[in-house]
Amino acid sequence: MAEENFLVTLRYAVWFLVFTAAVVSYRVVFGPTLADRVVALNTATTKVVVMVAVLSVVLDAYYLLDVAIVLLMVNAVGGLIIAKYLEVGR
Amino acid sequence: MIEFVLLAFGLFIMLFGALGLVRFPDVYTRLHATSKCDTGGAMSILLALAVSVNAPLLIRLKFVLLAFLIALINPMLSHAIARGAYKRGIKPKVVVDMYGGGNP
Repeated sequence: MAEENFLVTLRYAVWFLVFTAAVVSYRVVFGPTLADRVVALNTATTKVVVMVAVLSVVLDAYYLLDVAIVLLMVNAVGGLIIAKYLEVGR
Repeated sequence: MIEFVLLAFGLFIMLFGALGLVRFPDVYTRLHATSKCDTGGAMSILLALAVSVNAPLLIRLKFVLLAFLIALINPMLSHAIARGAYKRGIKPKVVVDMYGGGNP
């Protein structure tokens, strides 16, 4: 647990990150090409990783950090595979 | 006090990255906006958490490890997506295209 003022700030920070993820999801839905959607999905996943890391401090449940690390690695592998599909597949 | 400064810096950088993703006209310029902004903002927020939390040293090191992994993985993904988009045939809306070799 951190100090009390910072915990209250972190709760608003989580909502702010949710708002930015909602802004990014506009590009996921209405992106003109496939590459736009891939870029927006990677951005949203990074935001979700930060959200989980902040929530691990807010909820005092530090096992969520392992969840964040695993989500980041899954994002890396999935993004590389989608990038390879962008090269070769039509 | 340093943790508030780092947290506000990271949150505003992430907001500007999201606005750039919505407003820019092209895949590559959108990638240019989001890649750097997302990496810097996430690292700043995670370092703020690592400074402020009252926990054992191993948990603080886990925050730092997460920031290091983001710094390692996010530019690699941006590079791979830009290369894949160019190989797919999406042309950038610019005058000079140095990767295509069509300029002196």
